[in-house]
Amino acid sequence: MIVSSEKTISNELNKPKVLLELKGIKKYFPIKGGVLKRKQGDVKAVENVSLQLYEGESLGVVGESGCGKSTLGKAILGLEELTEGQIYFQDTEIQHLKRKEKIKFIKQMQMIFQDPYASLNPRQRIGHALEEVFTMHTNMSAGEKRQAVIDLLEEVGLKEEHFDRFPHEFSGGQRQRIGIARAIALNPSFIICDEAVSALDVSVQAQVLKLLKKLQQKYQLSYLFISHDLGVVRYFCDRVLVMYLGNTVELGTVKELFDRPLHPYTQALLSAIPRPSVHTKHKRIRLQGDLPNPANPPSGCPFHTRCPIAADVCKGEKPEWVEYEPNHFAACHFAGQPIA
Amino acid sequence: MAEIVPALGTEIKKVKKKESPFIITLKRLLKNKLAVIGLIIIVVQIGMAICAPLITSYDPAKQNLVASELPVFSEEHWLGTDNYGRDVWSRIVYGARISLVVGLVAVSLGLIGGVTLGLLGGYYKKLDGIIMRIVDLLFSFPGILLAMLIIAILGTSLVNVAIAISIWSIPSCARIVRGSVLSIKEKEYIMAMKSLGASDLRIMVKHILPNCFAPIIVFATMRMATAILSTAALSYLGLGAQPPTPEWGAMISQGQAFMWSSPHLTIVPGIAIMLTVFAFNVVGDGLRDAIDPNMDIQ
Repeated sequence: MIVSSEKTISNELNKPKVLLELKGIKKYFPIKGGVLKRKQGDVKAVENVSLQLYEGESLGVVGESGCGKSTLGKAILGLEELTEGQIYFQDTEIQHLKRKEKIKFIKQMQMIFQDPYASLNPRQRIGHALEEVFTMHTNMSAGEKRQAVIDLLEEVGLKEEHFDRFPHEFSGGQRQRIGIARAIALNPSFIICDEAVSALDVSVQAQVLKLLKKLQQKYQLSYLFISHDLGVVRYFCDRVLVMYLGNTVELGTVKELFDRPLHPYTQALLSAIPRPSVHTKHKRIRLQGDLPNPANPPSGCPFHTRCPIAADVCKGEKPEWVEYEPNHFAACHFAGQPIA
Repeated sequence: MAEIVPALGTEIKKVKKKESPFIITLKRLLKNKLAVIGLIIIVVQIGMAICAPLITSYDPAKQNLVASELPVFSEEHWLGTDNYGRDVWSRIVYGARISLVVGLVAVSLGLIGGVTLGLLGGYYKKLDGIIMRIVDLLFSFPGILLAMLIIAILGTSLVNVAIAISIWSIPSCARIVRGSVLSIKEKEYIMAMKSLGASDLRIMVKHILPNCFAPIIVFATMRMATAILSTAALSYLGLGAQPPTPEWGAMISQGQAFMWSSPHLTIVPGIAIMLTVFAFNVVGDGLRDAIDPNMDIQ
């Protein structure tokens, strides 16, 4: 007995600190129509998402397009107003703070965007774009700012000569590096990477991922890594969240989730990863039908319309979000049951 | 993993610097012959307006009743004189000053108002309804009528003409700017600035405004033509420049009485107005064609 209590204590000590906590996040986009622009319904982009993000970890968010991954990221940063739910950052509820108090947290949370072409102002030299971050949040002198920007550029593998160039004079990978430089400028503790490497080709992807990892180790960063590329997520993340139609479907460590997926949707996703071997047989699970309309989601389990093992209970009852194994959550009535 | 990962292609290409959007636009504009003609007319006119005392030997307001109503190509006065013996050439040259200055002031004031309203309306959804209804209200008056109304309230003078024309320019400018703002504010770089905690004012002025310069420049050029024409029209009606100010519209109105005896008194200022308006319109058109809609994306 003594041994086990010691064990729990040491577990408590080793338990990483929660940096960000989401409680029942919902984001609905109203559909307006008719002559008077009345509300006719909602697109349920994010439906009841709750999760915890620990300090220094990378949490991957995967799912097909339109499942609410990006909306979730934007909602965390306050770029989209929440319909319901609370966001706690370092144990403070941040959404209802006034701008002045919020600034402190805004500096802590940054975002790297999907399209490195679209996320930089085409009429601003990149040096000035980076300097602007310091202008907004610090009282540095012009010389200090310039030096800080040059340091940043070098940190992300660019050079001082790039200071006076316009965004269109860079390649995609270089531009994404500028985006990263901008995100780490204020020494944040949490960065949302919204499909940050999806627009880059594979060789550049690897470089950018390495850079992100290096920065994570150096600055103790936490990442929310939104992606549709399971291979990248497997390489880069510590834990993975699977989303389907705005709902969280499964959450677990990379090893757990990739080795023993509990939810049939996760199993289907994993079976879609191309394997570089012709000898091992592997069965591809093909889902039937399309993603249902998020304005009119199916009753019960949102996945039942396409689920190969759906039963009557799935149509009627929405499955609970249950921790089946330590740190491995899923929402399925038949969690863990393999697809025949 | 600790060493810096070098970016692909970080070596600076010193071969050829990419041209700025301004140079590209200028090059395209210069390929358009009509626009070049327009540009030349505008440049000559600006030169005339600036060097007015150097290229004329007569005071535009000085009367000389001995030499009144001289025809064109007279010995001393190559564009003749009017019924008071004032040199038509110097009146045209000094008139260019008035037209350009009034046009410039009117368009600038209109732009200030229009851009402000357009930015606010496009950026804040809540203000949009109110601002656009005000703009609709201004639109519902015929332009000249609105200008006449404003002058009737403010009194007749060139300054008031400029104010009237500027107010009349506000609604169309506001609409154009609002349209661009609506599309630009959805761009990812605006989202990026928001996520960095930039204030609304900073986003509007530093990031949205510079990216909708292209339509604003085209609008301003075309508006110059309208403004000059309207100044002449209002002065012709006696609501703008008062005698003896050498304003083109006023000159036509005064020369009207002598249409049959000395037609050059109406024809010469008429041609001056026509050339100016033509030049600004053609340059505006050329600019619209030259400014590539894809330029922002490159």
